[in-house]
Amino acid sequence: MQTWENSGEKFNPTQTAETEKLKSELLTLNMGPQHPATHGVLRVEIKTDSEVVAHAIPHIGYLHRCMEKHSENLDYRGIIPFVDRMDYLAAMNQEHTYVMAVESMLGTEVPRRAEYIRVLILELQRIASHLMAFGTYALDLGAFSPFLYAFDEREKILRLFEELSGARLLYNYIWIGGVWNDITSAQLYRVKEFCDHFEEELKKYDTLVSQNKIFRERTRHVGIMDEQMCYAYGATGPVLRGAGVKWDLRKVAPYSLYGELDFDVPVGDGDRDAMIGDCYSRYIVRMKEMTESVKIIRQILDGIESGPVIGKVPKVIKLPKGEVYMRTECPRGELGIHLVSDGGKTPYRLKVKSPCFTHTSMLPEIAPGQLIADFVASIGSIDIVLGEVDR
Amino acid sequence: MLSMDLEKLSSDINAKVSSANAKVVKPEEDGAGDSSILIEASSIKEVAQALLDSGVNVLQVISGVDYPDYLEVNYMFAKFDLANPGQFTLKLRVPDKANPSVESITSLYPAANWQERECYDMIGVTFNNHPDHRRILCPDDWEGFPLRKDYKVQDYYRGMVVNPDEKMNWADREFAKRQEEISKAQQEKSQD
Amino acid sequence: MSTNVETVSVKEYFRSIWQGVSSTAKGMWITFRYVWGNKPVTIEYPEVREVLPERARMRLFNDVDNCISCNMCAITCPVDCIYISSEKRAADQEVPKTDDGTPMRQVLTQYTIDTALCCYCGLCTTVCPTECLTHSNDYEFAQYTLGDMKYDYLSDDVRAWKQRIVGKEPVYRR
Repeated sequence: MQTWENSGEKFNPTQTAETEKLKSELLTLNMGPQHPATHGVLRVEIKTDSEVVAHAIPHIGYLHRCMEKHSENLDYRGIIPFVDRMDYLAAMNQEHTYVMAVESMLGTEVPRRAEYIRVLILELQRIASHLMAFGTYALDLGAFSPFLYAFDEREKILRLFEELSGARLLYNYIWIGGVWNDITSAQLYRVKEFCDHFEEELKKYDTLVSQNKIFRERTRHVGIMDEQMCYAYGATGPVLRGAGVKWDLRKVAPYSLYGELDFDVPVGDGDRDAMIGDCYSRYIVRMKEMTESVKIIRQILDGIESGPVIGKVPKVIKLPKGEVYMRTECPRGELGIHLVSDGGKTPYRLKVKSPCFTHTSMLPEIAPGQLIADFVASIGSIDIVLGEVDR
Repeated sequence: MLSMDLEKLSSDINAKVSSANAKVVKPEEDGAGDSSILIEASSIKEVAQALLDSGVNVLQVISGVDYPDYLEVNYMFAKFDLANPGQFTLKLRVPDKANPSVESITSLYPAANWQERECYDMIGVTFNNHPDHRRILCPDDWEGFPLRKDYKVQDYYRGMVVNPDEKMNWADREFAKRQEEISKAQQEKSQD
Repeated sequence: MSTNVETVSVKEYFRSIWQGVSSTAKGMWITFRYVWGNKPVTIEYPEVREVLPERARMRLFNDVDNCISCNMCAITCPVDCIYISSEKRAADQEVPKTDDGTPMRQVLTQYTIDTALCCYCGLCTTVCPTECLTHSNDYEFAQYTLGDMKYDYLSDDVRAWKQRIVGKEPVYRR
């Protein structure tokens, strides 16, 4: 097993006297904001030395909508659609974090059935989000067909969400005190069918992409974020787990029903010639997490209880004075909501800690010495959504 | 969730940093939510060093809040330690709203780099000795700090009028204005 | 391509080439199997239309004959896209009732929704006490100007949608 320390010398392009002679000014290259590999409107100012990145400076803010300011003028229910629009690929998880923050201030009791539906939905959303990450990552590295297969599966989840909530991406489904609609047994049966089908599908992805030698060579030993760097920058989610730390908020500080469920926390263990903390580790953590999510969904399907889906919530929500910092495990990492209330109908301040923002801030650290193509692989492996970075 | 013994933590901070004057802030009687630790603004760097030494290894977020009398900067620290996880909020208050400045802790926690930049961009707290003290979400030459409560959008940006009249959808605006007048008139009528 | 300098023996060099070819061939076989046995997942849109789920949140429709002008939708709307105004009904007039029996004490004078502003969150339909404001399943409403996206639900042409979109019996959904 290789780690960062014993992996040999870091590649230095201007080592010999001959290359030293040829050294000239650095070339500035703007990657983005309209670039397929930056997953949105991220602009990275790259100073390149031939094909090698010398510095990378991310410029963000192209999708800045200041939803934090907006939400200061909205009532607590009206913020949920705005929270959806932060990370549009995992809107359910975002809603859940916000709703949990409000519920913890209100002291609302959420019915058991609502909790079951929530966890079911959250895990389905996690699969959908990871499928998107898997598909676009393969696309970044030049494989086109996995993207189509991933979208085919993701479409099935979105279709279910559309039937549940009425929308495909921006659901407004998880409400303060519970969920909007009840789930029918026919829909639960379809989730079960999806799980059976999806497990086969995951094996296919494993052969198609994860075991592919070319893909592995493109991603292994690239963009290494080791444990210490992750702590220093506050990285969470698959990035931290890819660095070999078994830190998952669902296990460490169980919220909702996660304490009662049985699942593993996959970490990057450096198998298949990978190194702990490289792009392949982060990628494989996501793939393994999907298997775990299927496991959770099966337990939910077995244990789901009947009952109401929404608890007692006052018609006009007024939070007591105070503040709360709530965080949950989203597909991309830990999302934190810092909610300050002054006792009124609108929040005094709503601050969102976005995992992608944190991970983007690590790019300047890992970029120097990488080839540009490897840098693309690094950006893809942290799976950023610019809507969440800029908010 | 992951709460820590704040009384012990604040006395630890006081023991290590004498100027910190740390005390626990609890929610009010009729309030709810988390407790936090309030320290003196000038001692943040020493306190951060003490926390780093005591095993608080992650800075998650820096969140600035604009209160009528002061600016508050919240540091959410966490212990990413599987055996003994924890999380708490460290607060400091800057009373000088015209020219607020706090010492940067980027050299201790690299995560503070972007978080401090965002705090500066949105709330306007200047962080001394920050390696790259620029705006992050707004353009570099933007004026004002959007998340202050008294924020007004600037009139000119680089000599260009912000929201110029000729580019406005006037039909839309007039429609909304007319609607406002109608509803106001109706409210007055119903009050009579 | 790795950023670390690794020494590779000749044997390993050829082995990795073989691994690259064989693992890619395996993947190719998976892709090749999609030639048969898989139904197409796309539809040819204008000819074939997707049947949307019953709860799908598409264009808003207000059945003004059942609206009691309570203003709840306008208050709850997070983007303020509903313009509603009403007058008090004259004392000597008979108070009509909605389908579910709620008296309509106000006369609705205007009910306009700016669909260009609407974010389709569905909050307005959930607070509506008579359930006259619903999301229809109609998703084809492109217009040439922004002004055309403002629907005045009291006008005759928009009222005619009720027959076209909702059908004769309006489907009330929460």
